[in-house]
Amino acid sequence: MNARRLLPHYAMVLPFALLFAAFFLYPIISGFYYSFHEWNAATEPRFIGLANYEAVLQSRDFARAMTNLCIYIVITVPLGIAVALALALLVDSFTGFWANFFRSAFFLPVVLPAFLAATIWRWMYAPNFGLVNMILGWFGVPSINFLNDTGTMLYALIAVDVWVSAGFNMVILLAGLKNIPQDLYEAARLDGASRLQQVRYVTIPMLAPVLFFVVTYGFISALQVFDVPWLLTGSSFTAYGGRRSALMFPVMDMMGRAFGAVRFGEATAYGFILTFVIILFTALMFGFRAWRTPK
Amino acid sequence: MISSMCRALMAATATLIGTGAVSAQELQYWVYSDFAQGDALKLQQEFIAEFEAANPGVKIVISGRGDDDLTSGQIAGAASGTLPDVFMNGLNVGAQLVEVGALANIYPEWMAMPQEFRDQFDADAVKSCSPKPETMYCIPYTGFGEIMYRNLTVLEAAGIDTATPPATWEEWLQQMKKVKESGKSAIPDQTQVFNSVASMFAVAGDKAQWGIDFDRKQTLIQPEAATRALQTFIDMKPLQSGTSRNDQGTKDLFITNQLAFHVVGPWVNPSYEQAAKESGLKYDYVLVPGGKAGDHGGVKSYEFVGVAPGKNREIAWKFAAYITEKKQMARWAKLLSRYNANAAAMQDPEVSALPLIVKSVEAVKQAMDVTPPYFVGTVPNCYRSIMTDTASAVADGEYDAAEGAKELIAELNDCLAK
Repeated sequence: MNARRLLPHYAMVLPFALLFAAFFLYPIISGFYYSFHEWNAATEPRFIGLANYEAVLQSRDFARAMTNLCIYIVITVPLGIAVALALALLVDSFTGFWANFFRSAFFLPVVLPAFLAATIWRWMYAPNFGLVNMILGWFGVPSINFLNDTGTMLYALIAVDVWVSAGFNMVILLAGLKNIPQDLYEAARLDGASRLQQVRYVTIPMLAPVLFFVVTYGFISALQVFDVPWLLTGSSFTAYGGRRSALMFPVMDMMGRAFGAVRFGEATAYGFILTFVIILFTALMFGFRAWRTPK
Repeated sequence: MISSMCRALMAATATLIGTGAVSAQELQYWVYSDFAQGDALKLQQEFIAEFEAANPGVKIVISGRGDDDLTSGQIAGAASGTLPDVFMNGLNVGAQLVEVGALANIYPEWMAMPQEFRDQFDADAVKSCSPKPETMYCIPYTGFGEIMYRNLTVLEAAGIDTATPPATWEEWLQQMKKVKESGKSAIPDQTQVFNSVASMFAVAGDKAQWGIDFDRKQTLIQPEAATRALQTFIDMKPLQSGTSRNDQGTKDLFITNQLAFHVVGPWVNPSYEQAAKESGLKYDYVLVPGGKAGDHGGVKSYEFVGVAPGKNREIAWKFAAYITEKKQMARWAKLLSRYNANAAAMQDPEVSALPLIVKSVEAVKQAMDVTPPYFVGTVPNCYRSIMTDTASAVADGEYDAAEGAKELIAELNDCLAK
């Protein structure tokens, strides 16, 4: 009787469950299986134990990709959120036309296709006549080869990524700002709090849940960085990461192993290592949040 | 009323099913995206229409894809049984496609063709498709040999006589130094792209050593030739623009008379030709100088047409043979003014009158293959990155040329061993 009563509910969930199983669960399970096999997608897989994981972890490119990723995350995530918060506070201080104008203007890079954003920045970063070098030239700074000088490449990428992601984070933070009761600010003002103190003691604590989401999402996105560095360096499956692999990241390396070197087993192992890192990181974030939340 | 509508619907369905029963044998034909747009697409569609007319019941569906999409689609197609029937790709990924079973061995079909057909093709290009006896994985199709574009305004301003192109690396280097002294950039950064590193190896190294022994898992490059090639990157370091040869910025520098030399394939010529018409760019193209007079550097490679194994193989081969045949390739060459692997088409009077093709034919004869041997083993990605990284490291002063050569060979062998 109970089962019959629940049948319509299961029936309604079934289409999603089937699609989820076919396009999500099955690839994950089969990928996990192939990560222990030598497999080129066409021949019979051959079991090799943990050799794929060893090959990935011991490779020069993995070490480079992870080093680049660490530096990238440490700078991009806090910087991106700081910029987004500043933009959100700026937009929040406007009303009417200007609020809409700035919100749209700052959100524009988010809706721009990645290839277009990368193309625009490639032009802006061009040595000698690119916009950035032109402006630097006005101040007597010699031309910088942003996308080919290994000392500047990573920072050039970070600037693009902050530009792209700030608008998205700004909209989320702005929604959080709108939910902060105005009487808290009023009380703070009556207590003599300056604007900065209001941000420090009212805005940021009240935004904590939204900031947690933005930070977690920012970390997860940063761990999967792929399209912008791929496009900025004009990468392909056989050559990627730019000059001296200064913009090589794990997802790029994984794609190269799969479609450039036809080592799908190794690529899936790479994917699981990366997934493990992302899960670990997300768990740490949630653990930290639980620890900080008053019981 | 309802029953008459039902009858009409059933009749329509029956007609559709009936049509399906005698429907065309459909061939999927994948090409590079630039073959599927503008005039190139129109000509491809003409070839298709002619073939369909001559083979009733056959329908060809052309689909243009970017380089990476083409390769990943063919690899995934081989794994899932959804390979296109006829497709293009580059020789440099041939081994990967053989490894996943995407390419049929067309040797029997090739040998069944009249000698006259087989003799049309460039012998070296055919050899590239045939890694061992009684094996042939492709028909060579379009291709390139690198040429050197010269900005005559920049060279003249530097006091260089442009009537005679530099014959050797030494002469070329002296000209580059003069250009730099005149305040312009001489050449793009040749360390950034694998092909431009290869190009310099062809100039100053040893063309016979550029390759891999897949049986022994060792590079063929020897220290002396590598030292000479790496020294060129040190010599060029103060003279270069900082952009790679493939950057739009490089073309812009050349067009705006800020860059003297650009060593690359014929595909940039339309941009320079347009700039010559619109902004008065004065340029020409010559063969890339070699280590000694009479020899020439630069690299060459081909795109090929492959046929998938499977039930459509016979008609797919027929179509592949049709589009690569002299008549079609001559039309192709005339339309785009571009070299291709059909040597007979290159000798067509209308084709051989085109200056870019004449220079390309000469260039291909002397140029070095980019990643030989083809269809034998997959060149690991680390092989390419070690090559460009070492060239950069030497140019940046981390090693001298001899140390760099030693390091390069050790790392390449290590990469191949893995």
